[in-house]
Amino acid sequence: MLSRAARPALQRVAAASIRPAQSNNYATLREIEGRLKSIKNIEKITNTMKIVASTKLARAQRAMSESRTYGQTSNTVFDKAETKPQEGGKTLIIASSSDKGLCGGIHSQITKAVRRKLLETPDADLVILGEKCKAQLGRSSAKNIVMNFANVGKDIPTFAEAQTIADQIFQLEKDYDNIEIIYNNFKSAISYEPGSAYAFSEEAIKNSANFTAFEIEDEQLANLREYALANTIFWALSEGHACEISARRNAMDNASKNAGDMINRFQILFNRTRQAVITGELVEIITGAAASEDS
Amino acid sequence: MNSFRAASRIALRTKPTRALLAPRRNYAEAAGPADKIRLSLTLPHQSIYKASDVIQVNIPAESGDMGILANHVPSIEQLRPGVIDIIEEGAGSKQFFLSGGFAVVQPDSQLSINAVEAFPLEDFSPEAVRAQLAEAQRIASGSGSEQDIAEAKVEIEVLETLQAALK
Repeated sequence: MLSRAARPALQRVAAASIRPAQSNNYATLREIEGRLKSIKNIEKITNTMKIVASTKLARAQRAMSESRTYGQTSNTVFDKAETKPQEGGKTLIIASSSDKGLCGGIHSQITKAVRRKLLETPDADLVILGEKCKAQLGRSSAKNIVMNFANVGKDIPTFAEAQTIADQIFQLEKDYDNIEIIYNNFKSAISYEPGSAYAFSEEAIKNSANFTAFEIEDEQLANLREYALANTIFWALSEGHACEISARRNAMDNASKNAGDMINRFQILFNRTRQAVITGELVEIITGAAASEDS
Repeated sequence: MNSFRAASRIALRTKPTRALLAPRRNYAEAAGPADKIRLSLTLPHQSIYKASDVIQVNIPAESGDMGILANHVPSIEQLRPGVIDIIEEGAGSKQFFLSGGFAVVQPDSQLSINAVEAFPLEDFSPEAVRAQLAEAQRIASGSGSEQDIAEAKVEIEVLETLQAALK
């Protein structure tokens, strides 16, 4: 008697304890499904970005190697003349980044390199190409920034862009003794390092060790200097662009891989939870059947 | 860059472009084929010559047209828009029209030329040049902004040189 009376009560308790758990399970199942779906979508996006970056990479790398030859040809004269940056004097630092993110740490690399330089020469002026570095450097050294350019590095840089930037810099009408351009140096498809390129002042060119070997008309020196600055900026922009695209490809590759891992994990979790729910339901049905047989 | 353009304008006035086409003494033959100059002719988006050995290069420098051979005195020359003549061994000569730039003769018989644009002379169409020249002249004599007129004048200068070179 007691056992019979006690059984329904027990069952009720058991059912009550299962039901909230079960509804919980249903909820998490739906939750998991939702997350799984969103991760799958994210994976699709990162994968597409990766493919876009890989197709752009070949072009960017070709443009970079051409611009490298161009820049090196332009700088041969300073190498041969053994031109060195002047000691002291007014320094201008040009940080060459771009507007777009989602490409790993290449912009912060530039920012860090610029900050290191600013520790050495705290009163140096800054010209920033690209929004990313502007945002990062604006926080720490806003007083040094004299000019910045947006819309840089959207596509493969053109010489006209570099020329405009060089023109604007000369229109600042501050006679910089040293101009240092900090850009990402493309070492290989997976390694980039902030590098420095120098554009020299007329004084520095004149004072270089072997410059007397060259014949040049004095008024052409200023032109040579302006042209060399534009060339160097162009080189830095192209190299930075190739680095950015390559970094984006790697970043998106990693993101897609991580998303794949997460999809696997969530798929297993989803299957397990579903199985648990089914088992729970079966238990319920069987217990129900057993109970009604008993009565 | 303004002095760049102004200088090239003056140079143009003082040196009729016909001189480019006048028969020149060929130093290459006098020097013999033994010595060569290593030429790099690069544009921002393309390198036409990458340290290749050539016999002679004739460049339109600001200070006058020059022929450069091996063991030339090191010098830095600003180029005006004009035709550059590259004489290769065996392959005859190649002509490019350059939009101006810099040529540097390095001490070890290297010649580095940086230009913004360069195209083979035979790729230009005389009709297009004529049409653009007329258009530029119209703008230059019209009542546009000062910048437009200045740009049109530069255009005219380049196109006239080009036209003379094409004839």
